[in-house]
Amino acid sequence: MTGPLRTRVPLLLGVAALLLVVVAPFYYVIVSSFKTPQEIISPVPSLFPQSWTLQHYAKLLQASNFPTYLANSLLVAAGTMLICMVISTLAAYGLYRMQLPGREFLFRVILVTYAFPGVLLLIPLYGMMSQVGLIDRLWALIIVNVTFTAPFAVWMLRAFFTSIPVEIEEAATLDGAGWLQILARIVLPLALPGIASVAIFAFITSWTEYMFASVLIVSEAARTVPVGLAGIIGQYQVDWGLLLAGATVTMLPVILLFSFVGRSFVEGLTAGAVK
Amino acid sequence: MLQSLSRPTAHSRRILLGYLLVAPLLLWLAGTILYPLLSAVLLSLQDIKIIGTPGAWVGTDNYARALADSRFWQALGRSGLWVLANGVLQTVAAFATALILNQRFPGQKMARVWIILSWIVPTVVVVIIWRWLLSSSGVVNYLLVSLGLLDGPMGFFSTRNSAAMSVVAINAWRWFPFMAVMVLAGLQNIPRELYEAAAVDGAAAVQMFFRITLPLLQPVLFVLGLVGTLLSFNVFDIIWLLTGGGPSGATTTLPVLIYETAFTRYRLSQAAAISVLSGLLLMIFAILFIRFMSPREEDA
Repeated sequence: MTGPLRTRVPLLLGVAALLLVVVAPFYYVIVSSFKTPQEIISPVPSLFPQSWTLQHYAKLLQASNFPTYLANSLLVAAGTMLICMVISTLAAYGLYRMQLPGREFLFRVILVTYAFPGVLLLIPLYGMMSQVGLIDRLWALIIVNVTFTAPFAVWMLRAFFTSIPVEIEEAATLDGAGWLQILARIVLPLALPGIASVAIFAFITSWTEYMFASVLIVSEAARTVPVGLAGIIGQYQVDWGLLLAGATVTMLPVILLFSFVGRSFVEGLTAGAVK
Repeated sequence: MLQSLSRPTAHSRRILLGYLLVAPLLLWLAGTILYPLLSAVLLSLQDIKIIGTPGAWVGTDNYARALADSRFWQALGRSGLWVLANGVLQTVAAFATALILNQRFPGQKMARVWIILSWIVPTVVVVIIWRWLLSSSGVVNYLLVSLGLLDGPMGFFSTRNSAAMSVVAINAWRWFPFMAVMVLAGLQNIPRELYEAAAVDGAAAVQMFFRITLPLLQPVLFVLGLVGTLLSFNVFDIIWLLTGGGPSGATTTLPVLIYETAFTRYRLSQAAAISVLSGLLLMIFAILFIRFMSPREEDA
């Protein structure tokens, strides 16, 4: 089964290099968040804590506004996820199951909006939000996040929706089922992995978003995790323990979600590029 | 195509329904992309510092000012370099990664999923990770000094060149897994038989790469080249949080300049003008790219 040693060794070296480049930084950050402050700034780095401590986590959750940031981010991510799921699923169903004329054109429009540089919209969106009184409101972030997740979500759903055989739907139509019934009973269950990965994508994107959150949110009480953490970077005299704990807690939800649907997420991600 | 739905009324009703289903998304995008774009153009033709206050129409003054400002041209040049450096670094790393992940090895399935960890994690986490690893008491400095490559710890973000290079490297680290996954998907679409036939003919691995792999990857590379360029132009937060555009402007790309002009120097209208100019440039780039780089076979 294994190939000749000549090709095996470079391959394994490559894998090791990838592990080192991609995974090692995360390992080192997570592990170090449990080290004592003295060990963190020690001139000789250690791969494993000499004595474990939860003091940075205690400080993060008790002495900073981090719990507020967490709650805000969860609200924004959940709201974005829900709206994005509904409108992108409807759009994908319309586009890919209804044989819409002009579908390729619409698909391209959607692709363009995905790659559209958000920074060009920063100022006008800021103006728009302040005119409708949404500055400092989490709704503003949900609205913006849906804009930047829904197009890509449709892109991801394409492969999942087009892989469902048309005959199933046609048979249901002959049995007198309406489109809503067909959508709910047949298409949605079959496209579920795709919809789940869209949900995760929307959650991760809004959990991650910094630029709009830093401009549209003014008050400390409405900050999301990325803006709040960025504030901590500048605010304290580089408290590495606190920052490492903050980074660890911030990536936790993403890693948890990803461990459930990572497979179909990556499938959906790649489907648009190759199909 | 639609023999089973041959009755015209049912057919047209279905199409109408289809458009109705797509409508919410299109309306949403019109309200949050199209409308703001138009209002950016209007804003750039006025003189407004604080939103909500009435502004005077100044015509193309903001554009003239932006074009006469050396900061704009420097930022434009830096954006060009930024996109280019990221493109090269990410493409090389992504290709190497995709070729590795396309082989069989223990844990390969897991690696293909978890490779994009650095892409799905918030930027602020990426920033904390690298600020710490690259700090003067950080592990990178420790390794470089122990290996004798440096005499003493260096400040990666304190000189112009090292700051620019560090930010490019960190951003490439963040994005190359995403591109690798795309390239990998393209690789897996190439029929195995082609390689087997080439192997029978005695082709070397290098020949196979240039004769089979690269040409068949064209559609994927086209999408990546276009979307990747636009996405990396767009990168703001990682630069802002790592260096704030410094030291002395060394990492101020166009997005950073736009943000800074609007929200630290409070010149909204001028920032809008720079946005519009950047948008035009990107549009021209996209049109040229599509015209000259489109793969010959249309991917329908």
